[in-house]
Amino acid sequence: MKWGMVIDIKKCMRCHGCVAACRVEHFLPLHITWVKLIAYETEDGGVLDVTTYPVRCNQCKEAPCVDVCPTGASYQRADGIVTIEANKCIGCRYCVIACPYQNRTFLRKSSDPGYFPGYPQTGYEIKGKKLYPHQRGTTTKCNFCAEKIDYGLENGLKPGIDRDATPACVNTCQARALTFGDLNDPNSNVSRLIIQRHGKQLQAGLGTDPSVYYVDGKHGGNDNKAPEHAMTGSHIQHLSSVEDRAKELFPWLKRDNE
Amino acid sequence: MASENRKIVYSTCKSCHGGCGVKVTVEDGVPIHIEGNPDTLTRGTMCSKGLSSIQHIDSPYRLHYPMKRIGEKGEGKWKRISWDEALDTIASKIKESQEKYGPESISISQGTGRGYNRYIHRLARSLGTANVISPGYVCHSPRLGLYGLVTGYGRLYCDYHGWGGEFPKTQIMWAKQLEISSADSEMCNWFIHSLDYCKNLIIIDPRASAYATRATLWLQPRPGSDCALALGMMHVIINEGLWDKEFVEEWSFGFDELKERVKEWTPEKTEEVTWVPKEKIIEAARLWAIDTPGCIQVGSSLERQANCGHTLRAITCLMGLTGNIERPGSMISWVLPDTGLIEDFFLELPLTEEMQSKIIGIDKYKMGAARTCNPDTMVKAILSGKAPVHVWISVGGQQIVHMANTKEVVAAIEKMDFMVHVDLFMGPMAEAADIVLPAAHWLELDDVYDMHPRFFISAHNKVVDPPDEAKSDAWIFNEIGRRTAPEHWWDTLEECLDHQVRKGMGGNMKWKDFSEKLVSGCWGKDQVYYKYKTDYWREGGGFPSPTGKFEFYSKRLEELGYDPLPVFREPGESPYRTPELYKEYPIVMSSGFRQPFYFLGQYRNIPWLRSFMEYPQCQMHPETAAKYGISDGDWVWIETPRGRIRQKCRTFPGVLKGMLMATANWFYPEEPAKGYHGLFISNPNVLTNNNHLDPMYGSPDLTCLLCRVRKCSVEDLNENVFHTEEFGTVQRTSEK
Repeated sequence: MKWGMVIDIKKCMRCHGCVAACRVEHFLPLHITWVKLIAYETEDGGVLDVTTYPVRCNQCKEAPCVDVCPTGASYQRADGIVTIEANKCIGCRYCVIACPYQNRTFLRKSSDPGYFPGYPQTGYEIKGKKLYPHQRGTTTKCNFCAEKIDYGLENGLKPGIDRDATPACVNTCQARALTFGDLNDPNSNVSRLIIQRHGKQLQAGLGTDPSVYYVDGKHGGNDNKAPEHAMTGSHIQHLSSVEDRAKELFPWLKRDNE
Repeated sequence: MASENRKIVYSTCKSCHGGCGVKVTVEDGVPIHIEGNPDTLTRGTMCSKGLSSIQHIDSPYRLHYPMKRIGEKGEGKWKRISWDEALDTIASKIKESQEKYGPESISISQGTGRGYNRYIHRLARSLGTANVISPGYVCHSPRLGLYGLVTGYGRLYCDYHGWGGEFPKTQIMWAKQLEISSADSEMCNWFIHSLDYCKNLIIIDPRASAYATRATLWLQPRPGSDCALALGMMHVIINEGLWDKEFVEEWSFGFDELKERVKEWTPEKTEEVTWVPKEKIIEAARLWAIDTPGCIQVGSSLERQANCGHTLRAITCLMGLTGNIERPGSMISWVLPDTGLIEDFFLELPLTEEMQSKIIGIDKYKMGAARTCNPDTMVKAILSGKAPVHVWISVGGQQIVHMANTKEVVAAIEKMDFMVHVDLFMGPMAEAADIVLPAAHWLELDDVYDMHPRFFISAHNKVVDPPDEAKSDAWIFNEIGRRTAPEHWWDTLEECLDHQVRKGMGGNMKWKDFSEKLVSGCWGKDQVYYKYKTDYWREGGGFPSPTGKFEFYSKRLEELGYDPLPVFREPGESPYRTPELYKEYPIVMSSGFRQPFYFLGQYRNIPWLRSFMEYPQCQMHPETAAKYGISDGDWVWIETPRGRIRQKCRTFPGVLKGMLMATANWFYPEEPAKGYHGLFISNPNVLTNNNHLDPMYGSPDLTCLLCRVRKCSVEDLNENVFHTEEFGTVQRTSEK
């Protein structure tokens, strides 16, 4: 298994939902973002291009951040996720500089103004410090919600398909621009998208082999015939009743993650 | 992961108009996680506004207790009082004013968030007044009214669902960014999903929205010229014989007159007026007429223009001309759920002729001021000392921010005898009130959520208790109602909620059932298309309009003294209407720039969201900006004859040359009460004009006016600049 993500930049509309979901999921301190949106707005020879590139740690196969880490705090898991063991991190920030994508952030010792600077910590903030502590003086970054993936696999769920095993940004995206799955499985949702829509890695020439791919395209050009499941409104029919019966009738409900 | 003191609550988001299904995890009474509920219409998705609610409810700036103003208006001096004292004072002020000046002297205003529409209307009607101040006239009402006028039924929505077998083949996003979900989050998800089945996506917007450069076609009209564009498109469709012959012949009224009306709108003339190249006008018209079914998603920027009535009418005619009404994948009026129409909650109290005759502005704005008053006329009336209104009960909304000509609005509000404001936070409107009541957030209340397209309602289930003495809007209105018109209100909130859902489940539903059931809706195979071909509205078929047809020509409008056919009029200030002014103010301005993480005047006080755009930005094409010596990132003064504001300029090649797109509704919650929390610093309504209003709806030109721009000097960036009379922060005489 090698976890990867495909981002459809045709669909991303810069809503910042992924950024917010990531902050909720990891109780991120005020000025820390693991997911970022890069606006690309150019006019070249009268041709306008307005694009948003959502970026996060690319979980590179050849990760320069892992190579430069003097303590082994940054390491790659067997499933491809690059992670940081905070207790081993000495805050040297070599990795911050080594990352060609600038996707690592150093959490300064002095940089926690709290969610509402000048006011006491809120209930949510206090809970967060217990449930998802961030160690000051270490480097942080996106981890593909590894804790959700691990929890999911332990409970027989499939990352990228079952929500409880899927990164929060993927779940929340209103445009369904993000797809998550196993890059090693040629039939997975991500592998198919990469092949069908010519997925590209950011700055592939650097040889880092990112696990995040981008696909693009134009809107329109589709057939407007509704498939049967859209006509029946199968993903919502169960809302008509309070019984679990509906879920029995529509076993694919949970899988409606297109 | 599970813990004994953890629970999961399912509810409905109301961070914008809302509607997204929500799943919240609570531990020891603290919400520790929020995400979308996958088993809902929004498929488990949520936007940044809704997700940040988890930070929002905890804000130290929340109002916790009823408060009474003890200083001057806008001075920020308050004293805590009890709910009894607050409610009794309000009730006695209402009664006093009713007796002294008549029931029409009570005005009730609302914002466009938290779902209090039906409560304020019910309270108004139960008190015998129709002087309701609604933001509807600049958002949604004109389109509902005009759809209603043309088809006889007011609610036409885009069919994004495919329930009838087809998705829209051609979609027009007209002055709307449904994809960023700033206001209608649930629709955002449906719209984007429907694009997987869309052949042509046409975007009509002077500024490139997110999908503009990847759409089939993108038209950039001059702000305020949209009616001309619709007339021009109809010209092409009629000229090339592309209209839906069957629909027009059998189900429409006034086609010949319409044909005559659009004759002059040749592509050449349309290009001259709208600044859209004629080739694009022709292509858009052809795609729209040939690749049916299709739908047009209208944005409220069109309703913030003083020709909005005719613009909306022209766009509606464009729908009818191509038969894009009631067809699967076109514009539909949805069948209601078994709980019925949520507005029945106030419609069951009749609007009497007596009440209607006292509406401020009804003599002039016969479409817009038929059920609610015209707010701008009211402001003028208060300033001239002739307004009948003496008590103003305001909930949620910031009329002080969103209405045209801020300085006049503030002056009028300061003249009000008695004002109550209900809100989550102290804000500009609250600072002008006599009593402020603390409202509960949607995560802290039980209520019924009603969505715009009306095919479902869902439950707001209380996730956590509100802070201290904050109460839900429903509770607050029921309590005011109980004290002033007890015959129309309930002893307990639960009875009030029971009443609203009682028609469900065969007429036996209680709030508790609904709360658990979460949703009452009508969808899939249960929805009905082509209702005009059945006995649904009329026996033998037809629309519920006076002629029974889709009315291109409206006799009703003619009777009211309006043009029965759509007609283009220039905005109050434009290069062509006021060429002299244009020389002095050579930039076309719109305050239509919206960000996905703010909802109108809200959320600048949520740190997570504010981090996405700390200061208000305006956009100009790099060439336009360069003409005035402005570079990307510069702070600029934007000036009109009404005043000046400061915003940060971002050059953006996606915005029409020769125009400026300003961020709307900006105030600074962190600024002091004096100056109404920075109300005059960056809010584009300081610049807008309230003298030129739409003849039908009374809507001002908020998204089409003229301005000039200059770079701020170094001295201008000093914050002392704002501590002057111009920005409302000068010391009052009484304090010296």
